[in-house]
Amino acid sequence: MLDKLLFKNQDKKQLIIAVIGAFMGITFLITSIHYIIKVNEFGKGTDVFGPNTIIVQKKVTNANSLNLSKTDFSAQELVKIKKEPFIVEVQPVISNNFDVSFETSDPLVPYFRTDVFIQTVDQRFLDVKTDQWHWSEGDEFVPMIMPREFLVMLNTFMSASGIPQISDDLAKQVKFKFKIWNGTGMERVNARIIGFTNEVSSLLVPASFMKFGNDKYSDGTDQKITQIIISGKESEFGLVEDLLNKRGLESKNAQMIVGRLKSVVGTLFVVVLGISIITVLASGLVLLQYMQLLMSKNAYEVRTLLRIGYSPKVIIRRFFVYFVKIFGIVSVLALVVFFIFKYFLDEMFASGGLYIDTKLTYISLISLLIAYILFSLASFNTAKREIFKQF
Amino acid sequence: MPVPLASIQHGVDSIWGKYTELKAGKHILLNASSGKGKSTFTMLVIGLRADYEGLITFNGQDIKEFSPFDWTKIRQDKISVIYQDLQLFPSLSVAENLILKNDLTNLYSEKEMLQMLEKLEIEDKWNQKCGLLSMGQQQRVAIVRGLLQPFEWLIMDEPFSHLDIDNAKRCIEMIDSRCKELNAGFVLTTLGDNHGYQYDQELKL
Repeated sequence: MLDKLLFKNQDKKQLIIAVIGAFMGITFLITSIHYIIKVNEFGKGTDVFGPNTIIVQKKVTNANSLNLSKTDFSAQELVKIKKEPFIVEVQPVISNNFDVSFETSDPLVPYFRTDVFIQTVDQRFLDVKTDQWHWSEGDEFVPMIMPREFLVMLNTFMSASGIPQISDDLAKQVKFKFKIWNGTGMERVNARIIGFTNEVSSLLVPASFMKFGNDKYSDGTDQKITQIIISGKESEFGLVEDLLNKRGLESKNAQMIVGRLKSVVGTLFVVVLGISIITVLASGLVLLQYMQLLMSKNAYEVRTLLRIGYSPKVIIRRFFVYFVKIFGIVSVLALVVFFIFKYFLDEMFASGGLYIDTKLTYISLISLLIAYILFSLASFNTAKREIFKQF
Repeated sequence: MPVPLASIQHGVDSIWGKYTELKAGKHILLNASSGKGKSTFTMLVIGLRADYEGLITFNGQDIKEFSPFDWTKIRQDKISVIYQDLQLFPSLSVAENLILKNDLTNLYSEKEMLQMLEKLEIEDKWNQKCGLLSMGQQQRVAIVRGLLQPFEWLIMDEPFSHLDIDNAKRCIEMIDSRCKELNAGFVLTTLGDNHGYQYDQELKL
């Protein structure tokens, strides 16, 4: 009866506009938050390098070949790059100045040996635990990060030898050895894989092992910095790319593409998020304004109900529940549409080669909950204020 | 003294500005010409206006200290009012108007409410919208609604102004019977005619 009295005669045009606005705003809010998180997470966990980290070197030109220009980096160049506002960190990649070979040392896998090139990067660029990325003389083994293409090559060899191929996890259990030497001495050191990377083509080892090798078996030539590792700010990868072009630097194409893609898609979703927040706020305000309008139109009914003995609490609750229900229905609809959007967007990203994790993000659902709580509080306050005006 | 009436010259026997006590269970006639504050009196005692100087107490408590929730309780089971402008919901039927009030206390069944309307000869209006009834019919609906709650006082602001003698008599009988049943007092405001109602005390404004 009360609902019939208070809500039957409404001009629902404004309500419908507000509902459509809220529905669109919430849908885009959940969608954009979900994909901002997913795009930022893209690549994480599959590689030991951070998501905005690349290894770069100077482009080799005819001038380099003719010794007219250098391919190594000077200390001043590193300082200049580090000063750029969108650069978080720059470090030289140290290479071996001694001979190294790498061989299997496990009865479970056939003997395999190859000369390799090892490098080291600072711990802070790597997504590995500090206690794992450490070596000192006498330790059981040298931890190493292997280029994934190396594992592919190893598996090709295994396959050709009629032995089952090995997975990432199994490869981490296999015992290896490094043989390091120079003209006067040689030694073998146990090694284990602790992670894989698509970003470098050399084996990565801790700095302490590199120092040990360079101190003990160096061929005496000066260490040249031919590669550097750069960590850029999130969503500013385009600027890193400009810097590389300007300075004649290059990186692995895949790294650049992923970085560029993440930067563009991430920025796009941040823009959508901004618009969504504004839309949700605006539609929330229109809904609240409609609530006020409805209460003004029903001022006589509200006043009379209070006069014949209805408690303000009862009337406040009716208005509050009515609008919270509307927002609830809008939120559920938005959630359903988000799932439909998500299905198509995930398909679209996958068809474009961007395999984004399809699991739900709790933060996007929490954002919906926050929007719902904020609206509920605002509608309760509006209802309370307007009803007590009539008392 | 209500602030808007402070500038008006009141008679020597007017209650405005003087100590007046309404004793429980008494039948009081509040007699005054138009514009002397009959409706204002009703609004003051039910807490709908607070623009007065002086002190009004209910059961010994200053009514200005009452919270909206205190007033809700009072309006539900201490003071019932039949407003001069009736305060019905024109978009709702007679039944809905009565049920809406009865829902607060659930004192009567629908059958009993229908019987009350029957006594006032408007039972056939049960499903009709209040806005479509004549003023006399609406006034009878408002009277029935005013009786659908427990009360210690019934305040009636010119409740029979649109009723003929016979209908007013029927209404008076029903009100009288209900007041006796509850041992309640009433205040009847009038322009001069007591409509044959027996009263214990007459007040003037």
